[in-house]
Amino acid sequence: MKYIVIGVIALVILFVVAQYNRLVRLNITVDEAFAQIEVQLKRRADLIPNLVETVKGYAKHEQGTFDAVVAARAKATSASTVADVAAADGAVTTALRGLLAVAEAYPDLKASANFLSLQEELSTTENKVSFSRQFYNDNVRSLNTAVKTVPTSFFAGLAKVSARQFYEVENAADRNVPNVKF
Amino acid sequence: MAENNFRALQSANKSKTYFLLASMGLLTWLVAYAALTYFGTGTTSTIVPLAVGIALVGVWGSYYGSDKLVITMTGAKVIQREDAPELFNVIEEVVIASGLPMPKVAIVEDRAPNAFATGRNPEHALIAFTTRILEVMDRDELQGVIAHEMSHVANRDTLVSAVAATTAGAIAILSDFLTRMMWFGGGRDRDRDNNGNPIALVLSLVILILAPIAALLLKSAISRKREALADATAVSFTRNPAGLRKALEVLAADSTVVHAKSNAVAHIWIESPLDGKSVSKLFSTHPPIEERIATLRAMESLGPAGK
Repeated sequence: MKYIVIGVIALVILFVVAQYNRLVRLNITVDEAFAQIEVQLKRRADLIPNLVETVKGYAKHEQGTFDAVVAARAKATSASTVADVAAADGAVTTALRGLLAVAEAYPDLKASANFLSLQEELSTTENKVSFSRQFYNDNVRSLNTAVKTVPTSFFAGLAKVSARQFYEVENAADRNVPNVKF
Repeated sequence: MAENNFRALQSANKSKTYFLLASMGLLTWLVAYAALTYFGTGTTSTIVPLAVGIALVGVWGSYYGSDKLVITMTGAKVIQREDAPELFNVIEEVVIASGLPMPKVAIVEDRAPNAFATGRNPEHALIAFTTRILEVMDRDELQGVIAHEMSHVANRDTLVSAVAATTAGAIAILSDFLTRMMWFGGGRDRDRDNNGNPIALVLSLVILILAPIAALLLKSAISRKREALADATAVSFTRNPAGLRKALEVLAADSTVVHAKSNAVAHIWIESPLDGKSVSKLFSTHPPIEERIATLRAMESLGPAGK
């Protein structure tokens, strides 16, 4: 009888530990996934000055477009909460789309080696941004499900883990950006 | 589950694999039991562990060194970022989507478009591409192929096929030993069981003879389920079934087969390198490519799944 009691207690402890660890692990994964988004956004921000300079070399009279990109980039570098980062991200994507549309009108620019390599860098970075968003949102989904469903929901308070915010970009067409052909 | 079709496909393929692996276990037990009925405890208690041991050493040696072994067998060369920056860009994209560590990348000089993944765990993963596949595929298609290969890494298919190969190998060795013993030295043990049920004896004999074929069929079935699973997982990474579908269409249209083909490594390529006609459907390591294309097309018609 004594052994049965000890066994049951041990099982209960193991169960609690497993649930607790699962929640903590999910929470850490969400943090890592968000850090990945920031890494990729930073990469894109680093590409922008170079891209703007290159386009400027061929298209001098598009100052409005350049200013929009630079302003959106400046705003993006100061954002910190999920909602702010996502909003600024969307603004940069829209501004960049404007810049690339400008480039469309200059055949010499489109043919330049520098622009082509920048364009490849930009497509891959856009893809990486979009995949890191997707990875983040998938993990938020798992975490939020765990926080709200039995039995993990009982331990969310203990593990100090709560539901997290999805990364939502305004423009749903973002996924198509890298596929733009020039 | 229409909303997230690839998730439904993923879990269906996973549970089918578990079922097949369980059948493998059952088959091994059946063979051991048949041996016990036919030969008695004396021989069986040494032969069964011996066969399992031989299969374990053989398969797990190659499992542990799978990345190096496959490089040697296929003549793949590991490359760095500078050698193919664009390929690395696309791989990095899929790596981010999958949340896996960056694999090693290799190139196989071959005129047939194909690709494979290997490595005992995600940390030792290697994905390889033939020179031809890099020429014929555009960015979206290549992304689909890479996602398929990274899915094999994510689903630990090297491990699954090692388990399948071990059991199939053990059963083959066991049944080989035992059938030989029936003709030669097995008499003494049998005398003791002679007054046993003759139907049970005949049944065990049939099991011993048919088991290796059954094991081979199960092994191929597992491989096919893993391929279907990798297609579904690939879509969960890229959310773009069209990319992989177009890639498979390119592969289906191309009739060149990988030059460095070998039965031993046939299962690791994205498209079966063996001539389709010579291998019957039950023994083939891949589902028919038309079937895979149809499944992906069905996913496309569902529209983009939630991000």
